[in-house]
Amino acid sequence: MNGTPRGLNRVLLSLAGLLLLAVGVGLVLIASVPAVERWWQDYAGAQVDWLVDYEQRSRLIVTGQSWVWLAAAAFFVLVVVLMVTWIANQGKGRANTLVAREGNADDDGAAGVVKLSSAVAEQALKSALLERTDLLGVSVTSYDFNKETALRVRVLPRQGVAPHDVARDVGELVAALDELLGVEVPVLLSIGSAARSRFTKTERVR
Amino acid sequence: MTAFMQKALRRETRSARSLLAVTTAIVAALLSIYCVLELLLAGLGEPTWLVDPLSFVRWVAELPNGVQPVLLVAAGVLLALVGAVFLGHGLLPGRRARHTIEDPRVAIVVEDEVIASSLARRARMAAGVTREQVMVTVSARTVQVQIRPTSGIPLSEARIKDAVEAELAAMSLDPTPTVTVKLAESGVIGV
Repeated sequence: MNGTPRGLNRVLLSLAGLLLLAVGVGLVLIASVPAVERWWQDYAGAQVDWLVDYEQRSRLIVTGQSWVWLAAAAFFVLVVVLMVTWIANQGKGRANTLVAREGNADDDGAAGVVKLSSAVAEQALKSALLERTDLLGVSVTSYDFNKETALRVRVLPRQGVAPHDVARDVGELVAALDELLGVEVPVLLSIGSAARSRFTKTERVR
Repeated sequence: MTAFMQKALRRETRSARSLLAVTTAIVAALLSIYCVLELLLAGLGEPTWLVDPLSFVRWVAELPNGVQPVLLVAAGVLLALVGAVFLGHGLLPGRRARHTIEDPRVAIVVEDEVIASSLARRARMAAGVTREQVMVTVSARTVQVQIRPTSGIPLSEARIKDAVEAELAAMSLDPTPTVTVKLAESGVIGV
């Protein structure tokens, strides 16, 4: 539940897949079918002739070289920038403010904003969950997702702990939190298995 | 369950494809940086580092010449396979091994491994065997319980199945899996 651009990931990966597939199939055809080989050499040869011709006509006075290469370099710089942006967009969306409520003088007699930091809910839930011995790990984070702020509770129970028991207890804690805050914040509970819970034994004596 | 929660659960049970996306972006960025280097060297009239752009374009245009056909076919097949993997990542739903638990207030996702270990514990207690004798596999729509009984002690398949199904019913998972219990033909001794 974060701001990872999933649709964009899929579109770009599909495009990359289609490109690689086309190049791969093209290489196989060129290497194995003589007709395709002839067509490719004719077609690409004409393009190269055009490029050489244009390169010679577009020499710059300053460097004595064509600006075609500089333009291509600028294009690849743009590609690098886009790729870095793509990486930076993965997993974004952490929120700092859980609730912000604006009051005005007509409504409740006071102008101003009341802001609840995410840390309030995060620490309240975390400290309550850390007391339990059947959980090996607890983390609570808040995300801006779909124009709302939501809490994500991740618990890693020991082996053999019934997930619905954990879910019920977290549900009670969330109900208490609702009462404490006075607003119902969306909560997502993710119950996972810790790497540690696979190696620790629940009972040492059989 | 609000629409917001349903959206969040949908996202939690499907892969974001972040890992492949980041890998692709890094590889593409590194290749582009190399291209920038060679193109700048060519554009400024400096000696090239590995290959100058024009010779590379010529080499591509005359492609079957100068390269062994076997090598070219192998490279093509490899590229096509990688492309198919990418396309699969882009188009397949990419469900993760997770189930959701229905709850009016909290959106809950559980990894299948947690469900399996909980069911294994229940099956072990119903059968009265040690943990090494029970193996539980959970997939989206099936739960397989495999038990090797202790030699000489008969086990009731129906009782174990009832216990596991009761535990599953208490979880109220979505999608709801069906339970199959398999008792091994041979038992184990010395446990």
